[in-house]
Amino acid sequence: MIKLAIASALVAGSITAAHAEYPERPINMIVAYSAGGGTDIAARTLAPFIEKYLGEDASIVVLNRPGAGGEIGFTELAQSKPDGYTIGFINTPNILTIPIQRKARYSLESFTPIANVVDDPGAFSVLPSSGIKTFDDLIAYAKENPGKLTYGSTGIGSDDHLSALEFERITGVQLKHVPFPGNADVRTATLGGHIMMASMNISETIADVHEGALHALGQMSNERWDGATEVPTFKEEGYDVIMGSMRGIAAPAGVPEDVVAKLEEALKAAVADPEFQTKAKEQHLALSYMNAAAYKAELESLDATFRELWETTPWVQE
Amino acid sequence: MGDVFQHILDALPLVFSLGTIIAMIGGTIIGIAVGALPGLSATMGIAVLIPLTFTMEPVVALGMVAGIYNGAMYGGSIPAILLRIPGTPAGIATVFDGYPMAQSGHAKLALRISLVSSSIGSAVSAIALLSLAPPLSLIALKFSAANYFWLAIFGLMTIAVLLSENPVKGLLSACFGLFVGMIGIDMMTGMERFAFNELELLSGVNIIVLLTGLYAIPPAIDLALSPKKPDAEVKAINEEEMAFRWSSLIPVWIRSSIIGVVTGIIPALGGNVAALFAWNEQRRSDADKDKYGKGAPEGVAAPECANNADTAATLIPALTLGIPGSSVAAVILGALLVHGLIPGPQLFRDKAEITYGFMLAMLVTSGLMLILGSVGARAFVNVLKMPTQLLAPMIFVMATIGVFAIHNSMFEVWLMLGFGVLGYAMEKMDIPTAPAVLAVILGPIAEENLRRALLISGEGVFSLFQDVISLLLVALILATTALPLAMKMWRRRRSRIEALASRD
Repeated sequence: MIKLAIASALVAGSITAAHAEYPERPINMIVAYSAGGGTDIAARTLAPFIEKYLGEDASIVVLNRPGAGGEIGFTELAQSKPDGYTIGFINTPNILTIPIQRKARYSLESFTPIANVVDDPGAFSVLPSSGIKTFDDLIAYAKENPGKLTYGSTGIGSDDHLSALEFERITGVQLKHVPFPGNADVRTATLGGHIMMASMNISETIADVHEGALHALGQMSNERWDGATEVPTFKEEGYDVIMGSMRGIAAPAGVPEDVVAKLEEALKAAVADPEFQTKAKEQHLALSYMNAAAYKAELESLDATFRELWETTPWVQE
Repeated sequence: MGDVFQHILDALPLVFSLGTIIAMIGGTIIGIAVGALPGLSATMGIAVLIPLTFTMEPVVALGMVAGIYNGAMYGGSIPAILLRIPGTPAGIATVFDGYPMAQSGHAKLALRISLVSSSIGSAVSAIALLSLAPPLSLIALKFSAANYFWLAIFGLMTIAVLLSENPVKGLLSACFGLFVGMIGIDMMTGMERFAFNELELLSGVNIIVLLTGLYAIPPAIDLALSPKKPDAEVKAINEEEMAFRWSSLIPVWIRSSIIGVVTGIIPALGGNVAALFAWNEQRRSDADKDKYGKGAPEGVAAPECANNADTAATLIPALTLGIPGSSVAAVILGALLVHGLIPGPQLFRDKAEITYGFMLAMLVTSGLMLILGSVGARAFVNVLKMPTQLLAPMIFVMATIGVFAIHNSMFEVWLMLGFGVLGYAMEKMDIPTAPAVLAVILGPIAEENLRRALLISGEGVFSLFQDVISLLLVALILATTALPLAMKMWRRRRSRIEALASRD
C-alpha cells in the first residue's frame, strides 16, 4: 500500500514536472552578429524585458555567433532543437538573401517567426552642397551624367544595396554602386565628398541630417518613422520602394504552438514597456512590433520581392 | 578644440569609476610583470587578454589594455638593468647604461630613473595622442580611396623592408599575410575566396585568432621546451641612497619624449627604434661622450623615456585612419574592434566617451605606473625569480580559453594553434611575424580601396596619381623602398673600392 502510494506520488510528480510552466530553464538567444553591434545591443536591451514578462524565473542568455553575414548564427538557430529554449534574432535582408545568393544550410521554412521588433527603413542621403534636393533632381542628374552618380552601401546584398537596385529598377536610371565594409565608412566617404550619395538606414543617418551635414531625400518605409518625421517616404514621392533592416525574433521550425504564443505575448509586452521604449529611443532603435502571423507574412512577401529582383538583377555575379 | 575639452570632461567619470580604476591598476601590474619576463612582450600580453575582456564595459577593458601597454614598456627595463637581458625588444638600449649602473651598485637608482623616465614618456605620449588624434581624424574625411590605397601600401612596404634584417624574408611574411587577408567573402563582388566551402571561413580569419596564435604560442613553446632557470642571481638591492640631481635629466626627457612621439607616429618604427635612437642622440649631444655605456644615468633615462613616449603616439594613425603602424598597434586595434569601435572620425564623435576614455586611460596609467612601480619595486624584481615552467601552460590555457570565447568556436581554437606552430617555425627561420600580421589588416584595406578608387573614377590607373596626398605617399613609398637598397649597393661598392685600394 505504501509502495503504491509512493509510486503514485512519483507518477503524479513526474506529470506535474512534464507540465511545468515554460520556461523552466534558461533560454538561449542567438545573435548572429558581434557583441557590441547594433543587433547585439538591441538584443541585450530587450532581453531583461522579455524575462520580465515571461515569468519570474525566466532567464535569457544572449549568445553571439557572428560570421558570414549572419549565416553562422542563422544556421545554428535553424538546426537547434525546437523546444523553445533556443530563440534568436533574425535580420532582413540577410536571412532571406543568403539562401538566394548561395547554397545555405537553412531556408525561411527552417524558422518559426515569433515577432518583429525593429524595422529600420533605408534612406538616401546626399551632401547639402550637392545641389540635389529631391528625387527629381537625383534622376535628372543621373540621366545627364551616366555613370557619375556614385552611392555607397554596406556591402553586396545589404538592404542598402538592394534598395538602390530596386530604385534603379523602378526608375530606370543607372547608379554606380560602391560597397563599403560598414556604415561608418559610407558616412565618411559621403561627408568627404568621395561618393555622391549614401544609401544608409534612416536611424544611422538622422543625426547628420539634424546637424545639417547631410540631406535625406527620403526614407523607405510605409509611414514616416517617429525619429525622422521631416523626411518624406519614397512612396509619398511616387517611388514605391519599401525596404529596410527588420530585426525580429524567431525559433527553429516545429516549436510547440503554446510556446510560440507565450513568447509572442511576452515580446509584445516587452516592446510596449515604457522603460524599454525610453531605452530604445536613446539608441535610435526604429521600433515596429509585428505579431507572429504578420511577421511571417511580411517575411514571405519580402522573400518574393528579393527572388524577383534576383531574377532580373542578380547582385552577386558568378 | 572646445569639443575636445568637453569630450574629455564627459569621459572623466567613466575613467574614474571603480571598475576602470581596478582594471587600470590590474593592467599596469600585469604589464610590468609581462614586460619584466624575458620572452613575453606587450603584444603577447594584450593579445592573450583581449578575449577575456569581452564581457567588460569597453572603457574598463581598454583601461586594462592601456595599463598593460604602458606597464610592459617600463617592465622591460627591470631585467635589462638587473640581468642584462632586455625583457622586451624595446629594452635593448636600456642595457647599455642600466646594467653597468647596477654592477657598480646603483641598481636601485637605475630602476628609479627608468621608472620616472618611463612615466614621463608615457604621459607626454598620451597628451600627444589626446591633442593630435582628434584634429587628425578630421583630415581622414579628406582621404579618398586612392589615398587610403597608397597609405596602406606605404605601411606594408615600410614594415616589410624596415622591420627585418632581410627584406626578402620580410616580404615573404607580408605575402603570407596578404593571402590570409584575402580569405572570405570578397567585399566588392560578394564572391567567396579561399573559403573551401567552410562556413567558418566565410567571414575571413579573425585578427585576434591570428594575433594570439602568432604572438602567444611561439614564446609558450619556447618556454616549454627550454625553461630558463633563474641562473643569474638577482642580488638583493639595499644600497645607500646616492645623491642625484634629478633636474639634470629634464633636458634628456624633453629630447627623448619628442623622439619617441615622432618615431611612434611613423609606421613600422617601434619602441625599440625610438629607444636606440634616443640613446644615440643623447650621447651625440653630450660633451662627455665617454661616460655612456659605463653607467650614465642619462643613458638609462633617454631610452626608457623614448620607448614609453612611443606607446600612445603609435596609436594616432591606428585610431584616426585605421592604419596600424606596429604589431602592438594592430593588437590594440583588434581590442577596439572587439568592443565595436571602428577607427575613423566617427570614433571621436559617436563613441567619444569611450575613445576619450581610452586616451585618458593611457595618461592615467602612466601616473599609476609611477605609483605602482615605486610601491611594488621589490615585488616586480621578484617576478624574475618566477619559475618559467609555470608560464608555458598558463599561456596555452589563457590563449585557448580566450580564442574560444570570441565566437564560441572550436574551429578558431585549432586555427589559432595552427598559426602558433607556423609562427614558431617562422621565428626559428628568422622570418619576422609582424609583416604578416600587419598585411592581414593592411592588405584588404589596400585591395578594397584600389578597386573602389578605380570604380569611383572610372578613368583607370591615372586616377591613382591625381592629387597631392597620393603623389606624396608614392614618393614616400619609393624613398623607403629604394633608399635601403641604394645604401646597401653604395656600401658594397665602397667596400669593393676599398678592397681594390688596399690591394695596391
